[in-house]
Amino acid sequence: MTMRTEAELPFFFGDRNELFGIYHAAAPTVGKAVLLCAPLGQDQIRCHRLYRQLAHALAMEGIPALRFDYYGCGDSMGASAEVRWDRCIRDTVTAANELRARSGIDRVVAFGARLGGSMALAASAAARLADVVVWDPVVDGHAYVAKLDAMQEALRQDTHRFIKPRPAELAGEQWLGFAVNPELRKQISGLGSGWEATPSLLLDSLPPTIAHPWKALAVDDASITLLQPPTPWDDLARLEVAILSHPLVQTVTAYLRAPRP
Amino acid sequence: MTEQAFRFGRARHLIGIAGLPETAPDAIGVIVLNSGLVHRVGPFRLAVDMTRRLNTLGYPTLRFDFSTVGDSGASGESQSRLQQICADADDAMELLHQHAGCTRFVLVGLCSGAQNAHTVACVDGKVAGAVFMDGYAYRTLGFKIRHYLPRLLDPTRWWRRLTRSRAKTERSGSEPVFSTVPSPQAVVRADFSGMVERGMKLCLIYSGGINTYFNHAHQFRECFGRVMAHPAVSTRYLKEMDHTFVLVDDRKRLIEHIEAWLRRNFPVAHAGSSP
Repeated sequence: MTMRTEAELPFFFGDRNELFGIYHAAAPTVGKAVLLCAPLGQDQIRCHRLYRQLAHALAMEGIPALRFDYYGCGDSMGASAEVRWDRCIRDTVTAANELRARSGIDRVVAFGARLGGSMALAASAAARLADVVVWDPVVDGHAYVAKLDAMQEALRQDTHRFIKPRPAELAGEQWLGFAVNPELRKQISGLGSGWEATPSLLLDSLPPTIAHPWKALAVDDASITLLQPPTPWDDLARLEVAILSHPLVQTVTAYLRAPRP
Repeated sequence: MTEQAFRFGRARHLIGIAGLPETAPDAIGVIVLNSGLVHRVGPFRLAVDMTRRLNTLGYPTLRFDFSTVGDSGASGESQSRLQQICADADDAMELLHQHAGCTRFVLVGLCSGAQNAHTVACVDGKVAGAVFMDGYAYRTLGFKIRHYLPRLLDPTRWWRRLTRSRAKTERSGSEPVFSTVPSPQAVVRADFSGMVERGMKLCLIYSGGINTYFNHAHQFRECFGRVMAHPAVSTRYLKEMDHTFVLVDDRKRLIEHIEAWLRRNFPVAHAGSSP
């Protein structure tokens, strides 16, 4: 893939310039711009390269894109322990408006993986998103929190990582490398019903052995595309391995470049 | 204190975030390098927490992505990877010079970042200090005795070895391994001596996460000789911690250690303060 790095602009934006973003400029040809909503925690770091590849691919198709970090994430201001779901939604709204201002395009479509997909759906109305595309979104927050708790417990006892298991009190109030405040935990745990938006495309790469709770999103089967191979989101042995998927980049780019009402 | 985002470098191909506190123009600049392929925020945001902490103490900082890593692109030059690393680091130092007046720098690197810091520190006179986390290490005789002797004397290990399935675990060999041949031990040892002779200050921090080839504080000297006892060299073995410092408290302790080393060796004179 040809990298048009000069067209990528890193900058801080939003109230008090607290949010970091990279704008991928393009000569608009499709009449839409894409907001890339990152997942949280280690998923964000694992997906960083893929998001960049996707932004490049979109820009090459004439679709401007904005990648950004929520407050307390990535290069944005704030500590990891300060991440809140409601603040992330506000940041998504701010980022959507920033994308409109920079691209001159009002029609903003969002893409998000895991909690980034959930975020895009939750922010859809407030951010005036014209469409949402999601990849393995977190739909059942309670089950997701339980999974992260179990992985955190396994991590502290992982003797491939540590010479000997670490005390439980050293591993509390954090998920897989990131501090988690009780409010965020409660907010994520509460995700599960009342989704106000439905994605027009849901990319499903969850392993067949676990639940695929897409009915909660009222998404019809025709809007679900299966991706192979399954993505190892919850594999502790791959915690620090990048998530890469050329099929994902190709599928999302082809879908978004097609004209839609 | 503010952070600023930059696109910079000889081909404007590098992306970095500079923290620019109010400091005297001769303040030491701290540059945090990529750890492997993780982008500039570092494993679990370690580089963000570290640079912001150092900014509050008055150190100008830069965390950036090397060519083709993270958000940085390629320079378009025909260079070896080592030449790119040195040129990128030079671009990073020039950026901090332009925006904070720094003329001397400390490089901070973890794993491959430590090796890259080592490479640059060998050839660039602007580097006054370096923090090497889980950098070069070699299996010494002492390592082998500490590693194998307890295993040889442990009957439960013998029992497991004799009875376990021949099936390999998924970890052992299913993942592709991309690595470069490390520098020979004698070369690295001579490099460290040369750095100290040039007046550099070195801080080596190794973790229990590399216990397959480094397993005791004594191993610093076993690997690199008497230079490790030089007053300009600080060594610390954090046995209980993992390679990427996944626990929040471990990262806090790590940052506190680096902060204390910097304050001892490169104290900050704040802008406007008398010498």
